[in-house]
Amino acid sequence: MTAFFQNLGMSYEWAWAIATICGILLIALPLMLGVAMIIYADRKIWAAMALRRGPNVVGPFGLLQSFADGLKVFLQETIVPSAANKGIFLIAPIVTFTVALLAWAVIPFNSGAVLADINVGLLYVLAISSLGVYGTVMAGWASNSKYPFFSAMRASAQMISYEVSIGFILICVVLWANSFNLNEIVLAQKGAGLGFVNGFWFNILLFPMWVMFLISGMAETGRAPFDLTEAESELVAGFQTEYSSMSFALYWLGEYANVLLMCALNATLFFGGWLPPFEIPFLYWVPGFVWLLLKILFFFFIFSWVKATVPRYRYDQLMRLGWKVFLPVSLGFVVLVSGWLMFTRYGA
Amino acid sequence: MSVAQLVKSFTLWEFLKAHALTLKYFFKPKATINYPFEKNPLSPRFRGEHALRRYPNGEERCIACKLCEAVCPAQAITIEAEPRNDGSRRTTRYDIDMTKCIFCGFCQEACPVDAIVEGPNLEYSTETREELLYDKAKLLANGDKWERALAANLEADAPYR
Amino acid sequence: MPKLKVDGVEIEVPNGATVLQACELAGKEIPRFCYHERLSIAGNCRMCLVEVKPGPPKPQASCALPAADNQEIRTDSEMVKKAREGVMEFLLINHPLDCPICDQGGECDLQDQSVAYGRGGSRYHENKRAVTDKNMGPLIKTQMTRCIHCTRCVRFSEEVAGVDEIGALYRGESMQITTYLEHAAKHELSANVIDLCPVGALTSRPYAFEARPWELKKTLGIDVSDATGANIRIDARGREVMRVLPRINDDVNEEWLSDKGRYQVDGLTKRRLDRPYLRRDGKLQPASWNEAFAAIASLNPGNSIAAIAGDMVDCETMFAAKQLLGALGSTQLEGRQTGMDYATDSLAAVNFNSTFNGIETADAILIVGSMVRWEAPLVHVRIRKAVKRGAKVFLIGPEWETTCGGEFLGNDRALLGNLPGHVSDAFANAKRPAVILGGAGLGSGGLDAALAFAGSLNLVRDLEDGTKWNGFNVLHMAASRMGGLMLGFAQKGGIADLVAAKPKVVLSLGADEVDYAKFAGSMIVYIGHHGDKGAHAADVILPGAAYTEKAGTYVNTEGRVQFADKAVFAPGDAREDWTILRALADAFGVSVGFDSFDDLRTAMISAVPALGIEGLADYGSVLPSGGGSASGAIAYPIQDFYMTNPIARASAVMQRCSAELLHGEDLAEAAE
Repeated sequence: MTAFFQNLGMSYEWAWAIATICGILLIALPLMLGVAMIIYADRKIWAAMALRRGPNVVGPFGLLQSFADGLKVFLQETIVPSAANKGIFLIAPIVTFTVALLAWAVIPFNSGAVLADINVGLLYVLAISSLGVYGTVMAGWASNSKYPFFSAMRASAQMISYEVSIGFILICVVLWANSFNLNEIVLAQKGAGLGFVNGFWFNILLFPMWVMFLISGMAETGRAPFDLTEAESELVAGFQTEYSSMSFALYWLGEYANVLLMCALNATLFFGGWLPPFEIPFLYWVPGFVWLLLKILFFFFIFSWVKATVPRYRYDQLMRLGWKVFLPVSLGFVVLVSGWLMFTRYGA
Repeated sequence: MSVAQLVKSFTLWEFLKAHALTLKYFFKPKATINYPFEKNPLSPRFRGEHALRRYPNGEERCIACKLCEAVCPAQAITIEAEPRNDGSRRTTRYDIDMTKCIFCGFCQEACPVDAIVEGPNLEYSTETREELLYDKAKLLANGDKWERALAANLEADAPYR
Repeated sequence: MPKLKVDGVEIEVPNGATVLQACELAGKEIPRFCYHERLSIAGNCRMCLVEVKPGPPKPQASCALPAADNQEIRTDSEMVKKAREGVMEFLLINHPLDCPICDQGGECDLQDQSVAYGRGGSRYHENKRAVTDKNMGPLIKTQMTRCIHCTRCVRFSEEVAGVDEIGALYRGESMQITTYLEHAAKHELSANVIDLCPVGALTSRPYAFEARPWELKKTLGIDVSDATGANIRIDARGREVMRVLPRINDDVNEEWLSDKGRYQVDGLTKRRLDRPYLRRDGKLQPASWNEAFAAIASLNPGNSIAAIAGDMVDCETMFAAKQLLGALGSTQLEGRQTGMDYATDSLAAVNFNSTFNGIETADAILIVGSMVRWEAPLVHVRIRKAVKRGAKVFLIGPEWETTCGGEFLGNDRALLGNLPGHVSDAFANAKRPAVILGGAGLGSGGLDAALAFAGSLNLVRDLEDGTKWNGFNVLHMAASRMGGLMLGFAQKGGIADLVAAKPKVVLSLGADEVDYAKFAGSMIVYIGHHGDKGAHAADVILPGAAYTEKAGTYVNTEGRVQFADKAVFAPGDAREDWTILRALADAFGVSVGFDSFDDLRTAMISAVPALGIEGLADYGSVLPSGGGSASGAIAYPIQDFYMTNPIARASAVMQRCSAELLHGEDLAEAAE
């Protein structure tokens, strides 16, 4: 895009800056729109599985429900508790929301269509998603209220636990793809399955990794069945208890942006990203970002499906799963994968 | 842990079964109705919003016997009475605090003249609390508005009383 | 003393008892409508049927059947049950099913007994009888279709009230209860037929449709409309007194209550003083409590302060005032507002010594200067009972309709020392002679003359059966009088002593009959509840509580100490009187020695121990000898029975009674 703006007669610096801003907007705005629609979809899927109808009043089929909700919270008063640490209290949702958007910078939407094509993209994603916990912890601390505080402690422990295994899972992927750059990881999946399937998931060694990544992703984003951070039966509404109006809405947006990011990572790391699912020429007629979008939607359906099916975990079960199952298994698979690659790809 | 269990647990077998079930339900017809546009049929005994009825000649039925006030378990009803100019016993005040009411229907059971009834109306939410403090005028207006349905319900239920 | 068996239990009953009374003694409940303990036996409702052996093989009306030896009575047999159900079904044939609009609903004998003893339903499908309603005046509302012809009302007005006002017309199903030519029931006890009526045929007109019995908070109180001290039950809903009913007390009011005591309560919500007032520039203007207190305290009266007790205040209020004045060094206390100055050295000389029960047994009664029917209607009931037992009644004073005979001797006080021969003979021959000295007879030396008369006739004597008889009676008119006298609210010269002392401050405790013009130089502080004469004359008004709004001790004219409870709160800024006096003590900077009502009552009882014991206070039986003679014509102080106190004067019902019952003929003439 920089070249396009240069052709308009700008200097390289200006063209780069404007192109970057355009790129951010091109990602962020559709993302916001997508989040709104995904909230609607989430409610619809969940309702359907409970034999309900879900939102169906605002707009055709209730499509505009999220915008109505958004308008509602926008018009509400932001209540800051008198005992709260005001600065941190107000910054916390902004942190969550910003961090949720930041990671999208390295997701490739098509061949080369990536905002920041850095060679350690995956490391960047890991780093940024780890920062997400700060929004929650700050909220819990600043609210000066016991339920948010408990929730914040839970959230930090939960996220750290699952990031460890996510790290090991990603090492397997990186080993196989031989790169940290997400675009190259996508390209490495071209025909990875018997020369026909585009994706690492068809690999017997990486399929379990995908399953674990999917589950860890749910835990990382605090989705059901791992939504202990806002377990309403115990903690009222978790770290969001004291939040209202737009600050509350920012948490919602951030949470769903994170969910979408996890879906996108699933698609990118295991299902071939913007590649078509199968190595058939005519499938390439469809643009890459459409494939990515379809895959993200598919994974989001899985997220909603799980939410509608599985009851919430107990906290000790959550911890046990993270530390005593996922960590040893993923560690074992790092050994397995590296050993396999040692013997096959690099000839011992 | 037996091998079968181990396999089951590592293949997430039970989770897959559960998801299969929810997916099946996903495509089933909905159990709920499209509420504001479709409505369920109501029993003639449905206990909704209160109303004070009148006789066909326009005379209010309530005779201020205060039995409803006495029987009301939530003490939501307040009645004051005095002789009207023609000497008949009438209420000067008939208030129902709808925020207190528990819709038990004792008032309509107690009423000897079918004056206070709980009608079929369940859509009377208000924007302020004060609007839920019903006075006699509001209750009589309700009665006038719903009389047709109220009379039909009473008649439908009469054989079982 | 017949011995008989009731439901297999053998009991012994007094001679002359009826089977119904025997069953009650045995603890069996017998349903009844026409039978009433204080009325004659009619035996016309047939509800009290029981099975009696020996006797005809049919149920018998127990109220009219004398109890006899060896009777076997069953109240629980199948025959009795069937008989009761049958009677109840007949009674309900013509009784309308209008309980929901009937004021008797919830406290109706017919309702209760049809639930307890009746069948589930009626088999009567023909038309019911309907009866036109009758006019019984402003107090009694009639709905004669409901009447079951028990004739309690007829018997009451004939036997107790002594006026043949109510009677029955026609026979059988056509029978109707009515007043004579539909005139209003006019006597002072007319409303008692409302209590007597077992159904809703006679109900209270002022109370019509006002409240249901289950909504009312019942408080035990004492009536202050006269000095009888009738025991009442105050029924209140929320902050309003809805009605007053008599309580049963055989020593005082039996179970009757005067119409004034019963119906003046609507005056409690009218013309009330509900905030302090201060006279500024010659006009009473609303003020705050602090301003009012400051205005009084700024006068700094020292011991130049006097207190006048009104007719309706309780002993606690008077005692609190006495303590306040005592702390300031004053003893200027007076309760006899109209200026009477009889001696109060011996309280026995100003007391109704025979007691109300005792006067029933008197056989010669001389009433001096008292229109008993208006001054104490319930005492008049007792005198009527005495007359029915054979007592002779003589009266000195202007003539009035006594309803019990009696001979008017003239209108001159001098007659007391100079009785006609046949009267002297009657008293000389009487075993239990009595004198009743009314308000009009007390003054102008009347008390001394009467005491001399009592001494000459030996009214205090030992009877043959060993009991003591004291036939000297003073009938007061103010509920506070005996209490006030016990607490020392009396000066030697009466209120003239207070006038002569020219106090800087006059505390008026609800005193509305005083001639305040005599206190022209004083600041008049009115502590009371109604905007009546006293309030008009006042310079400072401190709103107090009426008798339903404070607990208190009252002493009636026979020296009977009785306690009343608080039924409702005083309206607006008004406070209980003793708290006002306590606060006034702070304003004056003196200590009165009590901080709570309990403290006050304890202090009062330690000062006058008799006020702590419920019942008759002992004033001794020794009367002062008296002497001298009185002279002059007697004029009764009460001009209008329904308008004797500020509450009654504020009451719309009492005003209507006064206009229709007392001045109805004047009005009719004026209309012509």
